[in-house]
Amino acid sequence: MSEQPRNDEIEILSFPIAVMMVSTTKDVFLKRRYALAEAKRAYNLLKQENKDKITQIANTFNWKIKPAKSETADFALHFTDFLRNTTGFHETKWKLVNRTMLNGEILLTRDETARLLAEEVREHIERKLDTKIGLELPQGIANRVELLQQLFWSRKGKMRLEEMPKEIVLDAFPPCIRQLYNTILSGRHISHVGRFALTTFLINSGMTVDNVVDLFRSLSDFNERMTRYQAEHIAGGRGSRTKYIPPKCDTLRTHGVCPGMDGICRRIRHPLAYYRRKLRIMQTTTETPTAQRA
Amino acid sequence: MNKIETKAFIQEKFAEYYRLNSSSIDPPSSLVNREFAFLLFKERMMLRHKGVKNVEDLRTLLKTVVPSDVYYSSAHYEKPEEEMEAKGWLGADLVFDIDADHISTPCGKKHDTWICNNCGATGRGTPPELCPTCKMQKFDDKSWLCEICLESAKRETMKLIDVLTRDFSLLPQEMTVAFSGHRGYHVHVEGEVVQTLDQMARKEIVDYMVGIGLEPIFHGLEESRGPNLAEAGWRGRIAKGTYEFLLNATTEQLEEMGLKKSVVNSLMNQRDKILESWESRGPWRTKSVGSESWKKIVQKAIENQSVKIDTVVTTDIHRLIRLTNTLHGKTGLKKTYVPVSDIERFDPLKDAIAFKEDKISLVVFEIPEFRLGDERYGPYKNMEVELPTAAALFLLCKGAAQVKEEH
Repeated sequence: MSEQPRNDEIEILSFPIAVMMVSTTKDVFLKRRYALAEAKRAYNLLKQENKDKITQIANTFNWKIKPAKSETADFALHFTDFLRNTTGFHETKWKLVNRTMLNGEILLTRDETARLLAEEVREHIERKLDTKIGLELPQGIANRVELLQQLFWSRKGKMRLEEMPKEIVLDAFPPCIRQLYNTILSGRHISHVGRFALTTFLINSGMTVDNVVDLFRSLSDFNERMTRYQAEHIAGGRGSRTKYIPPKCDTLRTHGVCPGMDGICRRIRHPLAYYRRKLRIMQTTTETPTAQRA
Repeated sequence: MNKIETKAFIQEKFAEYYRLNSSSIDPPSSLVNREFAFLLFKERMMLRHKGVKNVEDLRTLLKTVVPSDVYYSSAHYEKPEEEMEAKGWLGADLVFDIDADHISTPCGKKHDTWICNNCGATGRGTPPELCPTCKMQKFDDKSWLCEICLESAKRETMKLIDVLTRDFSLLPQEMTVAFSGHRGYHVHVEGEVVQTLDQMARKEIVDYMVGIGLEPIFHGLEESRGPNLAEAGWRGRIAKGTYEFLLNATTEQLEEMGLKKSVVNSLMNQRDKILESWESRGPWRTKSVGSESWKKIVQKAIENQSVKIDTVVTTDIHRLIRLTNTLHGKTGLKKTYVPVSDIERFDPLKDAIAFKEDKISLVVFEIPEFRLGDERYGPYKNMEVELPTAAALFLLCKGAAQVKEEH
């Protein structure tokens, strides 16, 4: 890539060594951060490249891409390649429905193409980091890895996740969950997606399986055995033992569960993130008077 | 004849169908990687996680089990007979389901009835949330299939095929379209291109079809400017939807949308000029119609152009789908292939008839008039009638009749 000239040998060799170092940490979070950092770097380099080079790099990932016959776009990319690399993005401009699509192709600017390629790079590196390395690192390098890992964790400590309160706080429910909750309380029927969203939300915010089962008791088609089975499954106590979390806001919108956004909704993408944020806001507002008194 | 005997009678007819027609049951692609499931007549239970080795296996199963409904997985698995977690998902067809239940049809579903399980109150249309008499919420509902419902579903299917063909560039031979045997249509897309799309990618495709999260600004709707009819994708659709809406809108409709009186007047008085404007820049500069008004109008255009698919079916990558040329337990009609190029002429109430011989004597409880094939039947109310097998089975499956006892 045509960045400012550096020592090619160092550049080329540093990448596999970095991959090896990160890979041996077996730290999922660290791996993700590293892949993201490399992807960001790739994006900054790629967006300055000419169209031919971008096409060539895209081809190495087997993208179906070609130059666009358009004044406003540089490339036309097959929708499957587009979807594979955009479903993690949150800006509305990346939604398929907000793109112009013709003949199975999405029109992209050079900058946008670079962004999608960077995403491909990120996944490529993440996959690389997951491959097992059969050899042990020489002591010198191993020490450095150790050091880096310590540094990383001391920083990450600051980003620690907040604990959920022990009691369920109804007032902190997002609008979708509040609506589902009230619907169930009044004994009315809700869709499968709605039931799943409500149950996963309640379990994840700390409600016991017993209490969840009781909540559904008011439904006319209540079946204790079935409801308990499903709630336990969602809580990770059965079958695959995976604990399920609620669908993302975007998914709830697709299935008509989202009743419309409020102020907090605009800043989050997941019902549980809403809950955490609202709890924090409620805490700070109740603490303020005390602070004033002091 | 009681309820159980009616069920046994239907099953006997279904058995006859599978005996005579099992050779018409085509295997889905990648047969050995599919899960099969059978809804059993007597137990009303789903027999799941069945795998078959070849098409003869499948046909024999149908002849011996004689299920009320037959399904196979849209997904391909390494081991279809294992439980869900151990199946080994390899990929899934991209499936769309269009059902009259999800469309607000002009008939208003007046032909559907519900009965409150608690107090026995009855009503027409979709069941209410609470029983108006006793405030309970458990209902038994009986859905009917009328020609208006079926026609609406067909229109939506044609819209879907249009989007898949033009926007997604799929060829007619890459799509399989079928009438479900009840109130809707299924569209299957197979092949490598879509096989491995994950749930999130499929959700994006759903949003594209339904127009969820669509922001008109990305499709050229700006101050005094907007998309035109010849443009691709949603741009052209927004233009087309706006064109059609403005062509047919009444003053009342426009007022209901919350448009200002001056805007409504301007749109109504200049209708001809607006229609002409599509040949050049479009109506986006119409006097006294500002960008806020256009946003509301475009919202109507999007509603009109969106394809009313079942959002859950398409995003579910483990879905069970009815097998083509098998019978629908609610109608006795068969799920039937629809030629993509000739869908306009497809007549579900004729082309999906599975039973063409003999007649059956029935006691019919109460049904509206209906058509099957070229004949019209009913309305009947507590009457004894002799009907061709297809029409008789239709009423029996719908729970609207009993077989007349032989003396």
